[in-house]
Amino acid sequence: MSDVVVGISDLRVSNVRMDCLVTYALGSCIAVAVYDPLVKVGGLLHYMLPESTLDSEKAREHPGMFADTGIPLLFKSCYKLGAEKKRMVIKVAGGARIMDDMNYFRIGQKNLTALRRIFWKNNVLIDAEDTGENFNRTVRLEIATGKFLIKGLGGVVKEL
Amino acid sequence: MIERILRSIQHVPAFPMTIQKVMELLRDEDYSVQEVAKVIKFDQAITANILRMCNSAYFGVRSRIGTLNEAIVYLGKENVIRAVQTSGVSRFFRKAAEGYVSRANDLWSHSVSVALMSQILFKRIYQQEQPVLYTAALLHDVGKVILGEYVHKSFDKIMDLVGREGCSFLEAEEKLFGINHAIIGGKIAEQWNFPEEISTAIRFHHRPDLLEDDKAIFPWLINLADQIGSMMGVGGGQDGLAYRAVSEVAQRFQLRDKDIEACMVQLFGDMEKARELIAIV
Repeated sequence: MSDVVVGISDLRVSNVRMDCLVTYALGSCIAVAVYDPLVKVGGLLHYMLPESTLDSEKAREHPGMFADTGIPLLFKSCYKLGAEKKRMVIKVAGGARIMDDMNYFRIGQKNLTALRRIFWKNNVLIDAEDTGENFNRTVRLEIATGKFLIKGLGGVVKEL
Repeated sequence: MIERILRSIQHVPAFPMTIQKVMELLRDEDYSVQEVAKVIKFDQAITANILRMCNSAYFGVRSRIGTLNEAIVYLGKENVIRAVQTSGVSRFFRKAAEGYVSRANDLWSHSVSVALMSQILFKRIYQQEQPVLYTAALLHDVGKVILGEYVHKSFDKIMDLVGREGCSFLEAEEKLFGINHAIIGGKIAEQWNFPEEISTAIRFHHRPDLLEDDKAIFPWLINLADQIGSMMGVGGGQDGLAYRAVSEVAQRFQLRDKDIEACMVQLFGDMEKARELIAIV
């Protein structure tokens, strides 16, 4: 299997059976993994912030930076490879935060809220998610099988 | 255990004299870059490293820079100083801090990201750069280079404390070893005879609220830069987000969510440019 690394503010799609899309150390950022099991097309997005209105120029350069520009592009890129919305399995990970009783840094939660709002509007349901809490996550999406693996607290790997 | 850890601090190699002298000069706000160049040029290894950094994509210079004076002309003094500091510190991060990170370069990328973020924040708040803060931020986690070996050996115990008992990573270090990586880092800086503002900033970077001196702002800024960098996951390690936020920090500098988000966008751009720079260690 060959790893295709998805950096921060980046997204990748693939229909190559050998590929495994990987993104490292998600903190308050969120990874959205989509997969169509019939045509075996998958995509992985690693966005950093909720809304592109913060910096529209940056959003044009790196649409994967924001939820509202990255998520639509992720779906469209998968459609180009033959995926169909009604068959797509959607999994989500990340949106963590620092241990913080006052809840001062809410970027993880805002990232999650933005995602739910976009999915709600477009009638998309999340099949599984591992979000919040306070540890980093590394995630992998296998194109051959659609398996979505998460490495979280203490380096333990689980399938979502 | 703690005696052994303290002994390993004594074995940390000396900080390069040349960079030390440069740092002395930088403490004066009206430092002259010619004087800096004079100090550096006698050290060939450091000069070569600085020139490699000056020629990296981070600074985006088209023609090749062959001498320090050219570097100063083309890059401006702030950038040359940044290259000098980065090349002075990078050697201490050649060894991966096992236990904290899984990829060799991660702790160094994290350190550079916090240093760059410290300047983004300082510029936003005070409209200028702060070279002493840059050095302190670059070194804030140097204690992990020592403690990593111990963390690696006791990893399961630490994860138990963090995962099950709700300890922060720092508290787990204290429980198991009687000391934490921030205090160790502060001691290393003292051993190097660094100015007190740097050793204090390193020592208190997770607990600026414990500082008695209310005017010391470096520990607060490094704390904030560290929190933001960790949330973005740049070079994020096993300890990642398992630190307690000091919630006064953003209020202290009157930063809102939107400001912090804008700083993240800026750091993303800086880190893209710095990729090649980080590879020079």
